[in-house]
Parts: sequence; C-alpha cells; structure tokens
Amino acid sequence: MGNIKVTVNHNRCVGSQLCMHFLPDVFDLDGNGQAIVCGLDGTNVTTLVQTAEQCPQCAIKVEDETTGEVLFPPAELGM
Amino acid sequence: MYTYMTTYLVKDDLMAPEVIADPHAYYRALRETDPVHWNERWKGWVLTGYKEVVDVLRDAENFSSDRMGYLASELTQEEQESIAPIFHVLKYWMVFRDPPEHTVLRMLLNKLFTPVAIERYRPMVRKIVQKTLDKVVASGKMELIRDFAYEVPMTVILELIGAPDLDRDKIKEWSEAIGVFFFIKADEPRRREIACEGINAMVEYIKPLIEHRRENPGIDLISLLISAEEAGQINYNDVIATCVLLVFGGHETTMNLIANGTLALMEHPEQWEKLRNDPKLLKKGVEELLRYDGSVKSTVRWAKADVMVGGKQIKKGERLLVSLSGANRDPLQFDSPDDLDVTRDPNLHVAFAHGIHVCLGASLARMEVEEAFAGLISRISCPVLEDEAYLNYYPSVVHRALKNLPIRFDQIK
Repeated sequence: MGNIKVTVNHNRCVGSQLCMHFLPDVFDLDGNGQAIVCGLDGTNVTTLVQTAEQCPQCAIKVEDETTGEVLFPPAELGM
Repeated sequence: MYTYMTTYLVKDDLMAPEVIADPHAYYRALRETDPVHWNERWKGWVLTGYKEVVDVLRDAENFSSDRMGYLASELTQEEQESIAPIFHVLKYWMVFRDPPEHTVLRMLLNKLFTPVAIERYRPMVRKIVQKTLDKVVASGKMELIRDFAYEVPMTVILELIGAPDLDRDKIKEWSEAIGVFFFIKADEPRRREIACEGINAMVEYIKPLIEHRRENPGIDLISLLISAEEAGQINYNDVIATCVLLVFGGHETTMNLIANGTLALMEHPEQWEKLRNDPKLLKKGVEELLRYDGSVKSTVRWAKADVMVGGKQIKKGERLLVSLSGANRDPLQFDSPDDLDVTRDPNLHVAFAHGIHVCLGASLARMEVEEAFAGLISRISCPVLEDEAYLNYYPSVVHRALKNLPIRFDQIK
C-alpha cells in the first residue's frame, strides 16, 4: 500500500459531522461547517475506508496515490 | 404580481390555501424581500435563503432540535400529563434530540443506512417496483399514490425492521394520526389527543415484536437496537421510540417524494424523455426532483443563545422555521432555480436537511426513488393528469403532500 490520500468533496458534504465523530483526529470542520481532513497521522487504511463509508453523502474519497486506485467509494455506487 | 406578494407578507399565513398550493411562490416572495423574516402570526422566524438555512442547520451548538423540551416549557404540568404518550415516545426520537444523546443513536443506526449498506436492498426494491407496476400498467391509468408510491416504501420498511407481515393499513392509520401532531392540520383542536392515540396503538403493536426479536435475534433493525440496548449503549425507551420513528418516517416522506417527482416530470415531459433515453441520469435526476419539490418543506430549530442570522438578531429561545424548499430555489445557490433540470450537477440541495440531523434514511429514499422512476420510465409513457382531476395538497407547513395523483398513460410494450 502506497501513500493514502483522503479528500472531502464540498459539492457533496452537508456537515453531518459523522466522519468527525468516528475519526476525530483525522476530520475537522471548516468555517462553513463542512468536513476537512486535518491529517491522516498513520491511521490505518481499513479504518479510513470504514469511516468514509459512514458518510451519508459519499463525500469522502480514499485513494492510493501510488497506484491511483480508488478505495472508496466503490465504482458500483456510481458516484 | 407585486400586489400578490404584498398580500402574502401582510397575511403571514403559512397555511393560506394559496401558500399550500404553491409554497415556492410564497417562499420566493419572502426570500426576495426578507430572507430572515419574523412571522408575527407564527411567532417565529422564517428562513428562506440558502446561506441562512445552511448556516442554521449546520450549527447544532447554537440551534436546538429539542422540540419536546421546548413544548414542555410552554405547557403546564397538567397539560403535559394529558399528552404523556407524546412525551414518552417522541422525546426519545433522534430527530428531536441534541448532542450528546443524538450522537450515540446516530452513530449506531447510521451503519445500517449508509449508501453501501442500502445497496443490498436494491434487488428487493426493484422486484417490488416491478410487481406493483405489473398490477396497474395494462389498465393505462392509476391513482399513483395509492397504487404505486405508497406500496414501495411501506414494503421496504417492513422488510428492514424484519416484520413483513405487519398490518399495513393499521400502520398507515396510526402514522397519519401521529402526523396530525407535526405536519397536518395545525388548526385541528384535538391534534395532540389524536397523536396520542396513534402513538399508543403503534407502541402496543410493536412491543411484542421487540420481545419476539429479543428471543429470536435476526439481522434486522429491531435486533440491532436490542443488542445495543443489551450492551448498555441505549435504553428500552430508545428502542421503542426508534422503532416507531422508523415505521412512521420510513414510508410517508418517500411516498410523497415519488408523487411530487412524478408530477414534476409530468409538467416537464422533455425531462421525462431525457431520463428515458438515458437511465444513467437517474441518480442526478432524483437529486433534482428532491431539490425541485421535495416532500419536506421545512424543519424547526430553537435558538440556544442570542445569535445573528443574515444580519438579524435572533434571541435565545426563539424558534425558526427553516425552509428547505425556499433554500432549494435560491438563485444565489442554483442557476435558474425554478427550472427542472435532471442533469443538474453539482446539486447540493437541502431536501434532507444539512448538519447533524441530515435524514438518516436519505440513502434508502434515494435508492427507492431511483428504482421507482427506473420502473416507471421503462414501463409507461410520460403520464398526464386524469381528465377533470385537480391537485390538492394536505394543509401542512412541513409536508409537501398531494392527496392523490390520478394519471393516464400508455403502457410501453
């Protein structure tokens, strides 16, 4: 597994804060009440994917930067 | 037009027949003149601008959803006791709770309602849609709500709670009674009593089901709630209240969404054709139907402190009617907001609200509505309203709910 990149799409994020509750060290809120990534800090990739899954809006994307593989959301969700 | 707008504002009547028939015109008039408006008649603020709506919904620190707490503060002890069932059940509803209690319940239930978790129900929903359409398409006409829009979500929610054999007619009747308290007939003098009867009946009906699941756990929602109760994460009141919430909330709003969406497409047949020619557009199309005429027009919050919203001073304890429909037609957020465009993207509407109370069932509703329209566009031509039928909406500040939608169409063979 290479470098993991996590991004939040602000055209989708509604500020449910679920990511923040599940992983408070990774996610925070910006001034608009939308989620931002404040640092992965060695968080394991399974936990990141499981947290991304909790987003009701599928706003969180988890990618392997080295291979370019999108680990979440899965293609079948059509996001 | 100007005179019409002035009349709206002077009357401040959220239940006026013309406002119920066309809330969008009313909200537009408000948004253009006073997006954070003190409604003297309702004794609260009405918010219709996207930015103000989103700011309030995303700020749970300053704005409370504790409806039962605020209601209790307005009633005497005696009055509270007269509607005890409403308090006993509804105060445990997630939608009316603030953090930290809300957070515990939400994190627990959210796992079952994620977009990924919901996908597993898609084949079942597709089958229900086809079976329901099989019964009606050949006749070339149907009452869309009774014959189609109601069947799909009701069947699905009963499957989800693991009780497909529950009596739907009873659940519908009790749900309507509970709805009287929130949504419909705000002028009904017995509305609290009617709601109490509905809640009591539903609780008594659900209790044995919970006990049955305690003895025979499955993979359904009730079993999940029981295991959380047994692990000490939630209590028995949470279990009962949440079951009532799921059954109540699980069908009506989705039903109205299918109906409102069908009507919107009937009024824009070129958009129906776009979906039919390219069903891949359905995901975006559903988002647009949600934005254009969603089933929940507004939600309520209470200020927990003195706060400024859109340049107006809101005082601690004051209530706010947050207009989702108003925000969804705000030209500052959406280009040509009064146009229906099934290709609209991005489309960050507020139909499911924003913030911590964003609809738990959003992914389920999206999938059900997507499947409902996938079924409709593949089986029938763009419908038209039955001759001599006219559109009639339930008088509600919150719900956008048609009483019925009789349609004619050609079957696609």
